[in-house]
Amino acid sequence: MAESVIHLRGVRKTYGEGAAEVAAVRGVDLDVEAGSFVVLLGPSGSGKTTLLNLIGGIEPATSGEIEVDGVDLAELDEEGRTRFRRESVGFIFQFFNLIPTLTGAENVELIAELAGEEDRAAEMVERVGLGERGRHFPSQLSGGEQQRIAVARALASRPRLLLGDEPTGALDLETGRNVLSLLREVGAELGQTVLLVTHNAVIARMADRVLQVRDGLIVSDEANATPLAAEQLEW
Amino acid sequence: MKILRRKLRRDLRRQRAQFLAIAVTIFLGVTLFGASYDAYRNLEASYEQAFVELRFANLTTTGGDTKAIAAAARKADGVAHLATRVQADIPFQVDDIKLTGRIVGMPTVEQPSVNRVEVEQGSYLPPADSGGVLVEQHMAENFELDAGDEITVLDAEGASRQLRSVGTAASPEYFWPAPSRQQVFAAPDDFGVLFVPEPTARELAGLATANQVVIYYDGGHENQALTDRLTRAADSAGADDVLTQAQQPSNSALQQDVSGFEELAILFPMLFLSAAALATAVLMRRLVAAQRPTIGVLRAEGFSRAQLLRHYVSFGLISGGLGGVLGALAGVLLAGAVTSAYTSELSIPLTVTELRPATIAVGIAFGVITGLIAAGLPARAASRVAPAEAMRSFAPSAGGSISLLERLLPPARRLPARWRMTIRSLGRNRRRTLSTATGVVLALILILVSWGMVDTMQILIDRQFEEIEREDAELSYQDGVSRSELDAVRDTAGVERAEPALNAAVTLAANGKRYQTALVALREDTQMHGFLLEGGGTTSLPENALLAGEALQGELGISEGDRVTVTAPEADLDPKLPVQGFLAEPLGTLAYSTLATAQRGSGGRVGKGNSALVRFESGVDRDEMRRRLSALPGVSAYEDSQVIRATVDEYLGLFYAFVGVMLLFGGAMAFALIFNSMSSSISERRVELATLRASGAPHMMLARLVTVENLITVLLGIVPGLIAGYAAAALFMASFSNDQFSFALEMRPSTLVLSALAIVLVALISQIPGVRALRRINVAAVIRERAS
Repeated sequence: MAESVIHLRGVRKTYGEGAAEVAAVRGVDLDVEAGSFVVLLGPSGSGKTTLLNLIGGIEPATSGEIEVDGVDLAELDEEGRTRFRRESVGFIFQFFNLIPTLTGAENVELIAELAGEEDRAAEMVERVGLGERGRHFPSQLSGGEQQRIAVARALASRPRLLLGDEPTGALDLETGRNVLSLLREVGAELGQTVLLVTHNAVIARMADRVLQVRDGLIVSDEANATPLAAEQLEW
Repeated sequence: MKILRRKLRRDLRRQRAQFLAIAVTIFLGVTLFGASYDAYRNLEASYEQAFVELRFANLTTTGGDTKAIAAAARKADGVAHLATRVQADIPFQVDDIKLTGRIVGMPTVEQPSVNRVEVEQGSYLPPADSGGVLVEQHMAENFELDAGDEITVLDAEGASRQLRSVGTAASPEYFWPAPSRQQVFAAPDDFGVLFVPEPTARELAGLATANQVVIYYDGGHENQALTDRLTRAADSAGADDVLTQAQQPSNSALQQDVSGFEELAILFPMLFLSAAALATAVLMRRLVAAQRPTIGVLRAEGFSRAQLLRHYVSFGLISGGLGGVLGALAGVLLAGAVTSAYTSELSIPLTVTELRPATIAVGIAFGVITGLIAAGLPARAASRVAPAEAMRSFAPSAGGSISLLERLLPPARRLPARWRMTIRSLGRNRRRTLSTATGVVLALILILVSWGMVDTMQILIDRQFEEIEREDAELSYQDGVSRSELDAVRDTAGVERAEPALNAAVTLAANGKRYQTALVALREDTQMHGFLLEGGGTTSLPENALLAGEALQGELGISEGDRVTVTAPEADLDPKLPVQGFLAEPLGTLAYSTLATAQRGSGGRVGKGNSALVRFESGVDRDEMRRRLSALPGVSAYEDSQVIRATVDEYLGLFYAFVGVMLLFGGAMAFALIFNSMSSSISERRVELATLRASGAPHMMLARLVTVENLITVLLGIVPGLIAGYAAAALFMASFSNDQFSFALEMRPSTLVLSALAIVLVALISQIPGVRALRRINVAAVIRERAS
């Protein structure tokens, strides 16, 4: 059995206090094997993005254990979590969130610099298939190209974990499939664990494992023995 | 619409710090306007009322046939009152202090019909008491003279006479105790005025008749035609000097101050209000951009463009209204305080403090209009947003481009990506960058105009008392200084050098114009006076020619080499003397010649020195020197140049306080503007910054990048700000210059450096709230907002 890169026990996350308290995540246990492609599936407000943020060290859990890539996140302060994100996690967002004043390649370079991996930026831009297009500013790139840059940016720091929050949410079908295919490919190639959050059940069909999230709980955990290629997906 | 009002309230609450910064800037601008404008009006009213009540002369003639002048004035239409009197400068002694005193003849029992006095303490001159005098308030205060105290004076024969104070009085001629237009500053120990019974004045001055005519016009109003007519009559009657009310030394000096208030009342508030308008516009643009989806929803739901326009204009209206109303009220309070402090400092007996509804209304209008204009354009843009466009969840991505710096300096393209991001961010929102840079320019104008005044004063005063007037003290001799008296001075312990000098009242004339001033005659090789030429460089005293203050060119319409007639009460210098050079002297417009030239020109009647200029050995006790030198035979008055300088510094005390307040205001303005710009900058890039935080960018790195970006924006404003500030300061100082003061702008290089550093410091301080906000960005929440 492969090693577990994500280990969660009794993880809770609440917002507000007293009568206004809202539990976004209500006691989640989870282990994810290194190198797997996992989809967190659930409707809006189910707590899947919060769970992703907890795993990515963007916010601390209210209680419970979170160990990612051998790091106990509960032990880390804000600066520690920042360092953890820089070294271990790559994020991909629905709206790409690129810096508009930097070219595509420079957006990748920025994160590579942060991780001390300056030489890797150009390689990653090539790897996502943009090459010369990387010299253009985000406003001159299509949505799919922007998301490819976002993928390259997420990979620039050689993270063990790639986290995507609705990465195809702002893309058309064809472009979305290309991005998913890219994620699948580079994840496998670089041995990265990929965790995607989506409300699109079709995407789950390409995952190794599908976790259904409802009301802050993982309500089902299914392995997919025959994942489809991204090109085969239709929605 | 209730719902829009509620939205307005909540929006204001959410961005209260930014709106407060705008309101504060408008408040400062309106306060400054109200305080300075009303203080100016109050001071004018105070002077006017005092002048009317005390019948301050509209015209004063000195010398000539006073009976003929008075007769001509009596016949002239528009003359309400006139009086003739004796005015003379004679030596006084109070305790062991010898000073130049002025006696002014007055009728007993009743006040004179012109140039009355306000008796502050004791009583008016009683009848049948030839030795009873009123002491002018500044002299009384300096020497602590009360009714009954005695003052020794020397009469025309050099004999001592004891006069006795019957009280103290304020006179419109001496609200500022200036001996003459050429000597606006006199140390309190060096000059004093006594109002004495007219017969006593004639005895003391050795005059059989009055030597002055003082004329008061109907209602005290200026009447140029009457002035011209009376001036002609005085000239033909041989008057040595004719002064209008505006030219009168005290009034002229004070009017400079008052007109300064008037200029400040417009210039400085405009700077603040411009800065506030910029800050409002920056904030409103950001608000509108952030609320595009909301605007779209409102438009889609049926809100009209006019309703939205009104809604967004309300933001500016509220900030402007709040700042305007509070500023107008503060202005009223401050104007009263400034007026009282000013009149009290100058011992002006009447203080008029009026509530002027027009100033309040204009102040509020300034605030409201500033807010309206600043919010108007962004509000108009908001109202024009199409519903479909606005309801997109995010505004179309701005196009990026290579920065100008990278184009000009290609190696800059190899900078780390984070620094390229910082440099390019400057061009990302050009309006904001321009607004911040403009705000820096405005702040620097405010700072440099204020600081420029201080520098100019200090540099020119240093020049006056170090490079021009090089003596430590001047001893006056009523009957002229003899060789033996000069030797006695030189032999006094502590004296390094002594030179004879002549200081004579003269009238210079050329091209049909006349100018009353003093001729200072010195040794050809004098070491007591430096002659700085107006175009730069120095010169020495010429033979058979004059040097004169630069303002004389305008006063007489002459240029270098032109000849002027020099007339003294005792004798005329003949032939006419050429003016060989014009001098840059900050205080007064005097004429200079060698003693030999003055003696030759007057056939010996003018030119015998009447004073000794003395330089001390270093480290001497100046009080002891005053005692020793005052006790020498023949010395009738003693002036310590350091005390005069201290008096000038004291005069500038209020001025420095004002400049200090202006510097604080300038700092506050720069803070408000940079703070708002910074807040907008961070708010605009919240998502990007959150993304970078999510990607592991440390908070300190982001803080550094944002700080550097803002500092570069500030630096972009510093160079034009220094240039504009210098130019504004030069313009401002030029408006203060006349023949009494020559205030060409002088600015120390360190002032420019320190002003720039002060702005950078303010910029750094104004970053603090933004940098803290950066730390507080909830990365998860920002990402969640976007995801939803």
